[in-house]
Amino acid sequence: MYVSYRWLARHVDLSGIDAHQLADDLTLSTAEVEGVELFAPQLSDVVVGHVVSREAHPDADKLSVCKVDVGGGDGEPLQIVCGAPNVAAGQKVAVATVGTVLPGDFKIKKSKIRNVESRGMICSVRELDIGDEHDGIWVLPTDATAGSTVAEALDILDWAIEIDNKSLTHRPDLWGHRGIAREIAAIHGRELLPLDLRPPETGNAPAFPVHVESDACSRYLGLRVEGARAEPSPDWLRWLLLAVGQRPIDLIVDLSNFVMLDLGQPNHTFDASRLSSEGIRVRNARSSETLTTLDGETRKLAESDLLICSGDDPVALAGIMGGEASKVGEDTSQLLLEVATFDAATVRRTSARLGLRTDSSARFEKCLDPTLPIAAAGHFARLLAAVQPEVRFPAVLTDVGNWRDPALEINLQTERVRTALGADIPDPAIVDILTRLQFDVSRTNDTELRVGVPSARGIKDVTTAQDLIEEVGRIYRYGNIPEQFMQAAVEPPRPDERRELVRRIQDRLSGTARFHELLSYSFIDDDTLTRLGWTDRPHVRVRNPMDQEESRVRRAVLPSLLGDLEANRRARSEIRFFEVGKGYLPEHANDRGEPREVHQLAMLWAAAPDRGGERFDDDRFHQLLGVVEDLFSYLGLPGELVWAVPAEAPSWAHPAQVLATGDGSGEPLALVANLEPGLARAIGLRDELASDVAVAEISIDALLAAPRGVRPFRPVPRYPGVKLDVAIDLPEATPAADLVAVLVEAGKKQVADTELFDVYRGKNVEPGRKSLAYHVLLQSEAKTLSDKDQTKYLARLEKGLTRIDGRLRK
Amino acid sequence: MNPEANSDEAREMDLARQKDEAREKIDACADSAALKDVERHYLGRKGIVASALAGIGQLPPDERKDAGQNANRLKQAIQELVDARARVLDETSLAAERSGAGFDPTLPAARLESGSLHPVTQVTRELEDLFLSMGYSVLDGPEVELDHYNFEALNIPADHPARDSHDTFFCTAEGSKDAAEQLVMRTHTSPVQVRAMEQLEPPFRVIAPGRCFRQETTDASHDHTFYQMEGMVVGRDISVGHLIGAMRTLLRGIFKQDLDVRLRPGYFPFVEPGFELDARCPFCEDGCSVCKRTTWIELLPCGLVHPNVLRAGGIDSDIWSGFAFGLGLSRLVMLRYGVDDVRHLFGGDLRFLEQF
Repeated sequence: MYVSYRWLARHVDLSGIDAHQLADDLTLSTAEVEGVELFAPQLSDVVVGHVVSREAHPDADKLSVCKVDVGGGDGEPLQIVCGAPNVAAGQKVAVATVGTVLPGDFKIKKSKIRNVESRGMICSVRELDIGDEHDGIWVLPTDATAGSTVAEALDILDWAIEIDNKSLTHRPDLWGHRGIAREIAAIHGRELLPLDLRPPETGNAPAFPVHVESDACSRYLGLRVEGARAEPSPDWLRWLLLAVGQRPIDLIVDLSNFVMLDLGQPNHTFDASRLSSEGIRVRNARSSETLTTLDGETRKLAESDLLICSGDDPVALAGIMGGEASKVGEDTSQLLLEVATFDAATVRRTSARLGLRTDSSARFEKCLDPTLPIAAAGHFARLLAAVQPEVRFPAVLTDVGNWRDPALEINLQTERVRTALGADIPDPAIVDILTRLQFDVSRTNDTELRVGVPSARGIKDVTTAQDLIEEVGRIYRYGNIPEQFMQAAVEPPRPDERRELVRRIQDRLSGTARFHELLSYSFIDDDTLTRLGWTDRPHVRVRNPMDQEESRVRRAVLPSLLGDLEANRRARSEIRFFEVGKGYLPEHANDRGEPREVHQLAMLWAAAPDRGGERFDDDRFHQLLGVVEDLFSYLGLPGELVWAVPAEAPSWAHPAQVLATGDGSGEPLALVANLEPGLARAIGLRDELASDVAVAEISIDALLAAPRGVRPFRPVPRYPGVKLDVAIDLPEATPAADLVAVLVEAGKKQVADTELFDVYRGKNVEPGRKSLAYHVLLQSEAKTLSDKDQTKYLARLEKGLTRIDGRLRK
Repeated sequence: MNPEANSDEAREMDLARQKDEAREKIDACADSAALKDVERHYLGRKGIVASALAGIGQLPPDERKDAGQNANRLKQAIQELVDARARVLDETSLAAERSGAGFDPTLPAARLESGSLHPVTQVTRELEDLFLSMGYSVLDGPEVELDHYNFEALNIPADHPARDSHDTFFCTAEGSKDAAEQLVMRTHTSPVQVRAMEQLEPPFRVIAPGRCFRQETTDASHDHTFYQMEGMVVGRDISVGHLIGAMRTLLRGIFKQDLDVRLRPGYFPFVEPGFELDARCPFCEDGCSVCKRTTWIELLPCGLVHPNVLRAGGIDSDIWSGFAFGLGLSRLVMLRYGVDDVRHLFGGDLRFLEQF
């Protein structure tokens, strides 16, 4: 919202307070000022010129050559060629001299127009960007002093102060200049200048009939006006409206706006001659009813919309916008002024549904004081009569509705003010501040005040003692409150197991494992879901998404990692990503409808395809599996995890190259897989971007539930162990885990470690069989092992292997 | 040579000749491997000296002593020559090594490929640690939130105009029951205030970092998803002075310097009084692009918890009071690292992530 400095000065003496000071005061005590701008700075750049003479241009019919006195030092008038038909000797005009830059970045230069020198420009209203008229130059009042700036000469030097609307949400009283002036007066301890806000004086003709049929209108005033003319407004009114960004139209419209911007009370004028003799009905719309609003749009209405009707015909959308049909035109002389109080929520709902926000709806939805309409009606009537003394208000003012005055009284313990603010503000200072804010303060006893809250504040933001504490604090200024430290019992914060676990995961993966943490959006795109075949799974759906293709909230984190893979693969040959995030499962919602939240870790390792020839485990899958196992060991999961090919794997997993681990009850703790090859291609990993991609999904929830602990220390061996390498030939289908069991068993507790280092198929190994080579470390806690122990081990191993159809290769 | 003709003299001659020959060979050795070969040739198990000693047994007894002595003298002499040569070669190779030839220390360092923590994680942790050190607990709250917690319990009933500025994403849970309440993507971390009050007994101090969502057009400084951190303290006689103290401590923790702050009225329905806390811009003295030339940066909306909110959380507002604040984590990350486009945070671009 814009407020004008000059406009405020109509309500409070601003001497000694410039616009910037005023902005700071408002920011620190009332509401955030977003900026202060000099109004129409171009009017301070152009000067008043006196047209001394005007002669026809020798070579052009439509041009004239003027001598214009701009009060320069040497007194020599400037010669200016002007194309306007209305320029005449004796006029005072607005002159842009050489060097002036006009709106539109138009710089005035010395020039020759058809061989006649011209040193400046006589401006039209449009050239100065203060109106649309461009039929001729702007003729200023004759008493303007030549040489002074136009802004000074017209006394319209003004600043537009922009206040952040959000910070006025709770202050319906601040949506007009008088309300803001009331704040300035309180801040500076000045008087608010008197303003006649008595009801309008009217004749005795019968009141215009108004029937209110909805609770959403608590008060409706109707004022009959006769003999008004929709002529241009006087300059003082035009300049104030221009200063706050309103386009002057005609006196009727301009005064209606002025009253709204002055007092914060929207109002509407109807052409009374177009209204039904049945009068006004205020009622809810019927479904399928329509109304063409002033902006020419035909609006489909809903039953919750409140209408102003002439008889039964809708003529305005209550509190939002008037209708085209009863619009005040140039020939209007009989008016009905409507000043009403409409229900905030009703106006807000309709305005939001229709996407129709107006200055009026913005005010009504803040919840307006029902005592204000009568003051606004009187203000309008007196302003109109001052400009057009012949207008008459023949009929008794219609005043119907069901409302009560929101003024109230609050008891305030002054000690509570001091405690809540943490500032030692003595009672008299508290009383002074509240009084300056126009609260009516008296004492009930030594410790308590009785505070009368005026209607304008009681309607919304001052209803409790806490609200009064804020009033005292902001005028006292929060900056004057000393910093204090809290006293509290010393105790450790609540442990948060999940946060600690997540931190350890992030540290291990970003550190040892050299993965990069990424964060992806919680919304998942339809393309990804289609590729996964997940579109028919229940999702939390956003009804108003940014993008229709991203209306679902993700169920799992892993698919999010696939999104940027192609772009990243173009930039890097290898990618290691992880994300810790949340997914939402609506089918597991609780009674209130909260979907189940799952916490997951997703990992992805992609690289250009393997060159081949490296070790058997030099592929993304096994490397990632190694990272996961290291992570679990770091997190203190006990013992060896059993990994197995799951009966059912998610659709992102390669159907055969996938392993899962868990306690077998419900969802797996972890899944590691190569990316499903079709999916990899679909997301662009083909041709020169073809990649080996391994992915893992780990349930943080399952990790939290799993037994975890500190791994106990194992003594450092006292005796050297024996390392031996064995290669075993066994059937293709036999899992390595079975072989490891045999390797360990044959050691009679002396096998301290086994490590697979080669897998071989081919020459010297029969078809259908494979050869696995292990490093085996034999270690005893009692003695140094010898060659003999090694021989014995091999003998036991050969025997054990027969159980699994294994053969020790020599 | 006729052994009969062997005389002492001849033996001496032979010894000298052997020694000269050995010296020649030893001096010709260019490296320690060659020297080892020569040493083995003379002094090895089957070397010349060894075979000479072995041959002594076949000599006439009176010659044996001399021959033995001679052989030992030869052995000793050669050993000395070998050792001397070894020292020379050692010196030479050390000198060669010291010369540094063939090694260029000015070549670039080997690149250590490391991983990274997201900058949001880094800044979040820093703040968590700061607050944990002051006895605050860290809470988490759902991103898909009930309207009740996001608005209603925060003193923002339906049709409240403050809802406008929240640009809310409204949600429907597919397959949910009819009786289910309205769901939204939470527009701020403030709902955790109410959840905290439901879970904890006062007095308590909590923070809640997390993701928030707004249905607004994205640009370099706005994204529809961003991070905030909520803070809430509930205790007895908590005052605006306490809030100022806590906020200054927070800012010292973030910016590692004492910044001037100013507290001005700000409207948030869940606090009363409500403030905007501005800090003196840490990046300039007389206006810069970060502070939009005002020398103040708007950092922390905060206030005393509204009695209605305490009541919604089941806390007796006659006994307890509190303050709450919200901190824009995404914005702080941008300030901290000078990130020029907030959309990088969720961009998933490795070239961005690997810088942290």
